[in-house]
Amino acid sequence: MNLRIRRLGLVLGLVYLALFAQLNRVQFFGAERLQDDVNNTRGLIREFGRARGPIVTADGVVVARSVEYDGSVDFRREYPEADRYAHIVGYQSLNVAATGLERSYNDELAGDPIDQRFQSLGDLFVERDTTATLVLSIRDDVQRVAQEQLGDRKGSVVAIDPRTGEVLALWTYPSFDPNPVADPNGTVANEAFDALRADPDTPLLAKSYREVFFPGSTFKLVTAAAGIETGLIGPAEPAFPPSSAYEPIPAGAPIRNFAGSTCGGDLVEILRVSCNTAFSEMGAEWVGPTGMIETAESFGFNSDIGIDLPGAAESRFPTDYGARLADVDTYRSPEPAVDASPSEGPTLPNGATPVHEDSARLAQTSIGQNDVAATPLQMAQVAAAIANEGRIMTPHVVTELRAADGSVYDRISPQTWRVAMSPATAAILRDAMQVVAEEGTARNLLVDGLVVGGKTGTAQLGTDPPNSHAWIVGFAGRPDQVPSLAFAVIVEAQEGASEQTGGRVAAPIAQAIIQAVFS
Amino acid sequence: MTATDPSPATSTSPLLALRPRRVESGILVLVGVVVAVAYGLASFGTSEAIPANLGPFLLWMFGLGFGAHLMNRRFAAAADPVFLPIALLLNGLGYVVITRLDGDLAALQSTWTAIGIGGYVVTLILLPRVRLLESYRYLLGLAGIFLLMLPLVPGLGREINGARIWASVGPINFQPGEFAKIALAAFFAAYLVDSRELLRSRLELRDLAPIGLAWAGSLGVMVFERDLGSSLLFFTLFVVVLWVASERWIVLAVGGAMFVVGAVASWMMFGHVQKRVDIWLDPFADPKGDGFQIVEASFALADGGLTGTGLGRGEPTRIPFVETDFIFAAIGEELGLAGSVAVLMAFLLLVGSGLRVALRAERVFEKLFALGLTTLLAVQTFVIVGGVLRVVPLTGITLPFVSYGGSSLVANYVLLGLLVRMSHEQRVALQVDRGDS
Repeated sequence: MNLRIRRLGLVLGLVYLALFAQLNRVQFFGAERLQDDVNNTRGLIREFGRARGPIVTADGVVVARSVEYDGSVDFRREYPEADRYAHIVGYQSLNVAATGLERSYNDELAGDPIDQRFQSLGDLFVERDTTATLVLSIRDDVQRVAQEQLGDRKGSVVAIDPRTGEVLALWTYPSFDPNPVADPNGTVANEAFDALRADPDTPLLAKSYREVFFPGSTFKLVTAAAGIETGLIGPAEPAFPPSSAYEPIPAGAPIRNFAGSTCGGDLVEILRVSCNTAFSEMGAEWVGPTGMIETAESFGFNSDIGIDLPGAAESRFPTDYGARLADVDTYRSPEPAVDASPSEGPTLPNGATPVHEDSARLAQTSIGQNDVAATPLQMAQVAAAIANEGRIMTPHVVTELRAADGSVYDRISPQTWRVAMSPATAAILRDAMQVVAEEGTARNLLVDGLVVGGKTGTAQLGTDPPNSHAWIVGFAGRPDQVPSLAFAVIVEAQEGASEQTGGRVAAPIAQAIIQAVFS
Repeated sequence: MTATDPSPATSTSPLLALRPRRVESGILVLVGVVVAVAYGLASFGTSEAIPANLGPFLLWMFGLGFGAHLMNRRFAAAADPVFLPIALLLNGLGYVVITRLDGDLAALQSTWTAIGIGGYVVTLILLPRVRLLESYRYLLGLAGIFLLMLPLVPGLGREINGARIWASVGPINFQPGEFAKIALAAFFAAYLVDSRELLRSRLELRDLAPIGLAWAGSLGVMVFERDLGSSLLFFTLFVVVLWVASERWIVLAVGGAMFVVGAVASWMMFGHVQKRVDIWLDPFADPKGDGFQIVEASFALADGGLTGTGLGRGEPTRIPFVETDFIFAAIGEELGLAGSVAVLMAFLLLVGSGLRVALRAERVFEKLFALGLTTLLAVQTFVIVGGVLRVVPLTGITLPFVSYGGSSLVANYVLLGLLVRMSHEQRVALQVDRGDS
């Protein structure tokens, strides 16, 4: 019998070996897969079992905080300012994936990073609140003005400090109240989220940095920068001859000015009246594809904008203009090329600019049409580059990570994102934009005692009935100082399609922002 | 067929040279330290405070353990020193986890622990020799069947969570099946003492009738009480004991075949069996519904990882029935792979010691009885741990000594007392032998 008992012992040992093997599989080798399983809410439950750090604006308004909750979890997130910060802060919800800062700063808010947990040797032995308070660069007074001024018109307002990249206001209407989405009750949260997702006005989408629009005439600033950077165009030289239509080369539909008007003149003048024909020619025949693409990309087009918020959209500038043909003087020379008489006739300074198969398209993209698309944040950065001597700072909405006891974990220092142009070019454009504000299409911007510059834009959407996006970009500062505010305002799908639309609709909003920032 | 090792009389076994009760007191101190530290940590983990009742708790636990140890010195001085400390370790760890899960249950469990250790001591005192049971074989058999059927008596039986395995007398609920298994193990062992020689010398169909009876009986338990775990336990018990007694492979073959037939038949006939199997095959098919318990247990174990979340720092309360059937998942989560492996090792030590008692027993009854009790312990542990780990389909059954549950705890302490009693008897015999030579 003992033989049988020993065999039984052996069998039991083997059977238990299966348990040990499976334990290793579940707890070690396959643990990661189980933890990542979609049905596994343990990580979330753990997160909601402790209070996260709050999020406060630069002027001390609490926009997100953890409050105790009596139910399935111990804490829930609460957003006291409701829709005003939904596109920045986002939400953290038990039922819906997190967005905004709640997502991009999740670990810091939860207190997980090593440097937050171990500030000193004593932290090895003492339990301490390791969560971080996020301090925003957003000023609630400015954000509030942006919200009030835009009212129930769809659009976005971006205000940024060009010297540091700190975002002062970032508002899009329509927005949404994140509180129901953050409700720990799954039914409440899912119903709220489904309704928001089904809303045709897309309130969940932070269009200020996640949606692109035709920039229209505001893009002429980029074209002007490209022109100045070629060395061919100065503030007063050359003068573009007055024209009511630009005939693209090698072929294409003519480009006209608003309301069929005639315009021309030096750089300051064509910016002041936002002259389509002159800027089309400048882009297509003076700068050419390479220069336009280089300059647009140095302003940040075709790349991630680098903001500390998730899901930012990339602004677009088309890069394909077909094969290179001949130089401009082949087409524009007063003498027919077949005559082949060299050095006769006036020599144009732009004569060596290459013409491409699709240069007609370049003429359109040079005035912000065709496939050019930009986020309001990108257009604010265009103005910021001009205000800040050509230098674009990395945009950010978080300035500081603060410990519960008030000490600082981390401070986000200003960083140069890219250099869009030389300081000289920026200075020329700054002066020109001031002229636009003082005498041109952006007069509604002016505020007493401040240096203000701007550029309007009216991106036509259709003609029946005529409607367009009304844009304004610009900067403001105290005299003899680097401007401390750059902004972009877009009001979507406004009635009318004249060059005045941007100045009439968008500029007053920007003016109120300037007043709020400098009050 | 002598069961003692034919070791030369001149050399004494090192195990016997040690004084078993001194070894036991040493292990007990270690167990006490482990349980006390675990208790403090669990309390610190849940409420970030050293428990106010740490002193009284330790006094209570050490008092019980020390009391049992003194009783061992008095009534089972030569017994294997592994049994009691390991059982107390499992009991203590289980108690710590139950405290951390549900304070009210913990208060009850501490009472049950006292009653269980009382049962252990009473077993040692009342039963100076296990062979006394042999003469009550039919009474024990009847008692086993009576206890098994008790939950089916109208007015007495009670169905809780889909299984009719409870009996209620006044305010007291208990699971008679937990005690039935000990009675039946004694009956099987005693019955086979008589028929063993017959079974060994010839093989006729009617000799296998007892297996058929056990098979039908366990199926009956499953059908009428919907208790898959117990029916599997009884069936395995009888087949194993019969196999060892008869020393015939055919017993295993026929037993295995009947198991397959019974399993397939019950799978085809009963919805709840099909469901259990479906959940076992793919719990993720319905992770929020049928598969929830298993899926959550897997997540809990995965969260535990190598070293665990720490006592009181995990989320084991998400698992339904975590205090009873799924307590192993809670241990795995909060103590990690290290803790869950340690618990399984503790069971292996118990099972190994139990098998050693069976090996060393000189009389057939003790041999088969010790074997049966050990098989019960080993199979019950495997069935529930395997169920939690998805090695086998889940059957609701307690983890011996660890799970919350009065009947289970008391019955297992009685089982332990019986093994300790047998261990003492044979070691005394061994020492006497040595002394004579």
